[in-house]
Amino acid sequence: MNYSFDFQSVTRNLGPLFDGLAVTLQLTVAANAIGLTLGFVLALLLMSPWRLVRLPVILFVEFFRCTPALVQIIWFFYCVPMLFNVFLGSITMGILALGFNLAAFNAEAYRASIQAIPREQLDAGIALGLNPVQRILYIVLPTAIRASIPVLLTNGIVIFQQSALVAIVAVQDLMYQAKSLATQTYRPIETFSVAALIYFAVSFPVTQLVDYLERRRLAVAG
Amino acid sequence: MDSLDFTAVLRFRDALLQGLLTTLELTLICIVLGCAIGFAVGLARTSTNLPLRNLSSVYVEFFRGTPVLIQLFWIFFCLPLLLGIELSNFASGVIALTLYMGAITSETFRASLKSIGREQFDACVALGLPRWAQITSVVLPQALLRAIPTLLSNCVSLFKESALVSAVGMADLMFIGSNISNNTARPVEVLTVVALIYFVIAFPLTRAVTVIERRILQKLAV
Repeated sequence: MNYSFDFQSVTRNLGPLFDGLAVTLQLTVAANAIGLTLGFVLALLLMSPWRLVRLPVILFVEFFRCTPALVQIIWFFYCVPMLFNVFLGSITMGILALGFNLAAFNAEAYRASIQAIPREQLDAGIALGLNPVQRILYIVLPTAIRASIPVLLTNGIVIFQQSALVAIVAVQDLMYQAKSLATQTYRPIETFSVAALIYFAVSFPVTQLVDYLERRRLAVAG
Repeated sequence: MDSLDFTAVLRFRDALLQGLLTTLELTLICIVLGCAIGFAVGLARTSTNLPLRNLSSVYVEFFRGTPVLIQLFWIFFCLPLLLGIELSNFASGVIALTLYMGAITSETFRASLKSIGREQFDACVALGLPRWAQITSVVLPQALLRAIPTLLSNCVSLFKESALVSAVGMADLMFIGSNISNNTARPVEVLTVVALIYFVIAFPLTRAVTVIERRILQKLAV
């Protein structure tokens, strides 16, 4: 190996990389806001007793879970403007595509923890005279959210990583900035390594937190 | 907008099929290589040797903590520079996705290795089995059996992530799909068909995960 490293070419250009990180974080936070709320609604609809309600939701969830995120993002960017005649900013489009993807995965996480709520809790809610909306708000929602926190966090961080895909449709996120910096400076090794480290520095603490929560849950359960 | 014309896609079915074959070939190669690495790393992570355990943790955490796209770019652009050799895009795709698959399956194997009871190892010692026989005839079969459902969903993830190789110009299903979509100016039809092809393969596999999970759980519970 006779490559001479020059990390200064990156450190001189940290500005664009951090601008990119800001866009990446914006995408992640907004997609999580959609994923956490829409995901819960989808989970409730998934368990609806009416087939007519259940079927389209199942289709939505399975479609997002069973196709590559890249296909979804490209589909979104090309087809939504053509099909529905709406023209949104590229960051908004990215947020929607990532948000729907996350909502599908979170819906499954919520569903698993809702189904794990013991029947007696709901019976107790009925016995206390709570109406269905109150039962969802005060019994199902808090229990389900607490039980699914580790999975929701994991999904949230996966979306942080998947958000790099929007670089392919020219949203100027961290990945995009890294790619153009690597091309401009002819320093792909240094640039991509630094960009990878930035991604890692954000996701690693979250995965450690998830591991800690899992361990604590197991300790409490055992 | 113009009316949809799906016959336009039909003209390109040979090209799409060719792309699908590349995608499947890539996925299968990386499943085999990735699972082998994953099992070895899973063992290393449960080993009593501290340097080995730390080294394998760094590998897994790094690949789980960064976007697959940046891993792929790193290998595609940087590895040839570092090693001073030419890498075809197929080779770099295989290396990147194999390392990714190795990292995610090692977590699966680690969990299933943990679930093997202490008494099994004691029995091996009592029977005087050499370390190698202990791994191949006691640990591996049980770990594999317990890991099957999660491994299968890892395979589905890999199949979906494989669409990323289109970003480094490999002619997989995604790459051919977006090429056709650009040339025919019919993104809605072409991209929808591409998404459906991915769906048709991934969906039955995710269903199989649920079925196998139930069956294996039953078997182990007996």
